[in-house]
Amino acid sequence: MSSVSTEPPARKNKLSLRVRLRRDRSLLLMTVPAVALLLVFNYVPLFGLLTAFQDYNPLVGVWNSEWVGFDQFVTLFGDSLFWGSLTNTLYLSFVQLILFFPIPIALALLLNSVLSERLRNFIQSIAYLPHFFSWVLAITIFQQMFGGAGLLNQFLRSNDMSTWDIMTNPDTFVLLITSQAIWKEAGWSIIVFLAALAAINTDLYESSAVDGAGRWRRLWHITLPGMSGVIMLMLVLRLGNALTVGFEQFLIQREAVGHEAADVLDTFAFYYGIATNNYSYGAAAGLFKSVISLLLIWGANKLAHAFGEDGLYRK
Amino acid sequence: MKKGGPVVGIELNRRRFLSVTASVAGLTATGGLLSACGGGTPQKTGANSDALKAALPNYVPSTTLKPDIPSIAGGPNVLTDPGFLTYPSDRVATVSGVPGKGGKYTTVTPLWGTIPPADNSFYQAMNKALGVTLDMKPADGNNYATIIPTMTAAKRLPDWIQLPTWWNSNFNVGELAGSQLADLTPFLSGDNIKKYPNLAAIPTGAWQAGAWGDKIYGVPSFSSGFVVAGATFFRRDVLEAKGITADQVKSADDLMNLGKELTDAKAGVWAFDDVWTYMFPAWNVPLKWKVDNGKLIHKYDMPELLDALEWHYTLATSGYLHPDALAGNNADGNVRFYSGKVLIGGGGTGAWNAADHQSGSAANPNFRRGAFNFFTADGKGEPQIYMGPSTSIMSYLNSNLKSEQIEELLAVANYLAAPYGSVEYTLVNYGVEGVHHTMVNGVPTATDEGKKNVQAQTFPFLASPPAVISNPGSDVVTKDYTAWQAANVKHLQKPVFWNMNISLPRAMATADAAQAVEDAIKDCYHGKKKVSEVKEAITTWKSSGGGDKLVQWMDENVLQKYGTGQ
Repeated sequence: MSSVSTEPPARKNKLSLRVRLRRDRSLLLMTVPAVALLLVFNYVPLFGLLTAFQDYNPLVGVWNSEWVGFDQFVTLFGDSLFWGSLTNTLYLSFVQLILFFPIPIALALLLNSVLSERLRNFIQSIAYLPHFFSWVLAITIFQQMFGGAGLLNQFLRSNDMSTWDIMTNPDTFVLLITSQAIWKEAGWSIIVFLAALAAINTDLYESSAVDGAGRWRRLWHITLPGMSGVIMLMLVLRLGNALTVGFEQFLIQREAVGHEAADVLDTFAFYYGIATNNYSYGAAAGLFKSVISLLLIWGANKLAHAFGEDGLYRK
Repeated sequence: MKKGGPVVGIELNRRRFLSVTASVAGLTATGGLLSACGGGTPQKTGANSDALKAALPNYVPSTTLKPDIPSIAGGPNVLTDPGFLTYPSDRVATVSGVPGKGGKYTTVTPLWGTIPPADNSFYQAMNKALGVTLDMKPADGNNYATIIPTMTAAKRLPDWIQLPTWWNSNFNVGELAGSQLADLTPFLSGDNIKKYPNLAAIPTGAWQAGAWGDKIYGVPSFSSGFVVAGATFFRRDVLEAKGITADQVKSADDLMNLGKELTDAKAGVWAFDDVWTYMFPAWNVPLKWKVDNGKLIHKYDMPELLDALEWHYTLATSGYLHPDALAGNNADGNVRFYSGKVLIGGGGTGAWNAADHQSGSAANPNFRRGAFNFFTADGKGEPQIYMGPSTSIMSYLNSNLKSEQIEELLAVANYLAAPYGSVEYTLVNYGVEGVHHTMVNGVPTATDEGKKNVQAQTFPFLASPPAVISNPGSDVVTKDYTAWQAANVKHLQKPVFWNMNISLPRAMATADAAQAVEDAIKDCYHGKKKVSEVKEAITTWKSSGGGDKLVQWMDENVLQKYGTGQ
């Protein structure tokens, strides 16, 4: 009882707050900047959500703007453009989940199987690179390559073949968006999976190889279970962010495919809220999105726990 | 002010900025560019009332310099900008002594470009000449619309601020007038302005654009008697080589046929870039409002708008429009035009300047910009082109200033508004000779120090003389542009509510922005949506988007009370 070190872990919590504060003071001090950052930039702005229940006028400020209760939400739920944006968001999110999510995992496995470290680093660097491009640049590159007057179509034209409308076709926009996202972000997303792979005890591979397990068996019984925690965590985060599919990517290509194909919740809040001085309406759309996201992340976390995984935190 | 070098640089930047926002941030070009109806609460809706007429300054034109190409009047408040082929060698001083009395003031102006270093040699020279200390704080133009509301909300405006009128509703200038912005009426109304002769040489229409509730608040910059949304430009060198001249295009059909003739997609050449914003008036569609037999009509209610859209939809789907334009990439429009990948494209008239000519000539030595004369879509009758407000660049003084401080700053404004080619104009626009510029072949040419510190978007954004067209070294531009203005000035008309500031209640402002309809229109002229779908968007806007209420509100609160302002 008297010595901290002899306490079993489960009973550590029973230490008085003062003792724990003193014990952890260096660690706590180190987290202060991060907590301050979080408070100032993530929590304080939450008060702005009040504007969703107002007819906000920036000139008179939050306290003097007129309160309108749920009026903004009533209008929002009656707005077909809002529902269109929501549908687009969910659809894009779903397609990205199916087509995008497995790719970094597969890439990480492939990369992990490359034995030459130099080659591995080289491939990794190339795969990372597009992540550092802005969306403007990434889309410009796509436009130059696949646009109506881009390399591909000019080649087709000069050979008297019919052209291929890739960049301005609303029907295939979801595939375009996903392939852009894969090109830009898949390389970067493998980092976390590579870290998980590195954490797997190599002895396991050696013993299973000795026991006669082939490559696929090792993948199935050692590698994938070793990664499952991380995969589940990423999945939970992805589901929680299902309503966040990006902003600039859609903003820039909105004119190219038309607003009906390109409007997602974030661009909706921008165009029909901020851009037209209708701040409260934008705030209402944003609040709706946040509440649903919270429910999604809570649900996904529950699901992860139900499967015996850690999810966001260990239960 | 000179519609050649620096001024047009600004215009170009501004329009470029607008076109970028149109694609990136979603402000529609028409919303930004053409909103003659800007701000002012109902009771502040100022125009045409007797009280406002009494408040407006008397116009005393400047006779300091005789232009090489004189203005041509097209009607009341309508005239072409005068043209200068050379920079005046005989500099006249229009201000005697130093205007200031040693006061210290802060200023904020938008700047689309590189912000010059604070307290640089140019600012110092200016402060010495002005006799005041102006703490110049140019702010990034691209973020200006978000910077200013935080200042106004905190009631922390600088002493002198520039608020571009296309953002009047974003800034809620109608509310600010009288609360945070100083009333200049007592200092400038009627003959009072004669104390400031250079300000008196700014035409009345421009002052009206800065008036709210029968009082004057704004000091105009870059005012002009020839303000149009833009023109349909073409590559004059390329078309003339094919034997095509501007006067052969007399109708929308002519233009469409030209598209067929000029497009050679295999060679990477398309006839058109976006032309909607500058072409739709050919169908007799107003910028926004029209009064027919005393009845107020919104352009969305006009069948002519749908006809215009039909033509543009056909254009977009015909294959004559450059694919990058269809993809909403407006930022590279100039590059396409210079390189001859596009031969016809719409744009603000500010694009017609020396810098443009130099960029074009760098790509092709024969480069020459031309613009089609205005025509009606069916080729019959006289085209009617509605003018924009006399200026979009308006500066204001803080209401916390004392009377003597306001007088001191107006004297400074008078210095800044000195006419083209004067001693003061040369300092304001080119800095000190020998330090910031040297005269090369009679043209003030910036030194390295000048390039770094002298920005056209600093002091001239506080006050500047009426526009002139001058492109020293590129006479062809001055001649072409003045000739085009002269040929078209007869078509210019004052639109309904011209130069009137109307501040809409928030719900009305949202209906007025009509984002959903503007989106549908854009999708239509890019060939994504049929005209019938725009029609549906308009129907929705009228019923649930507040459109009908907007028309009613405008009728009751503006038309009935203040008239058309024409």
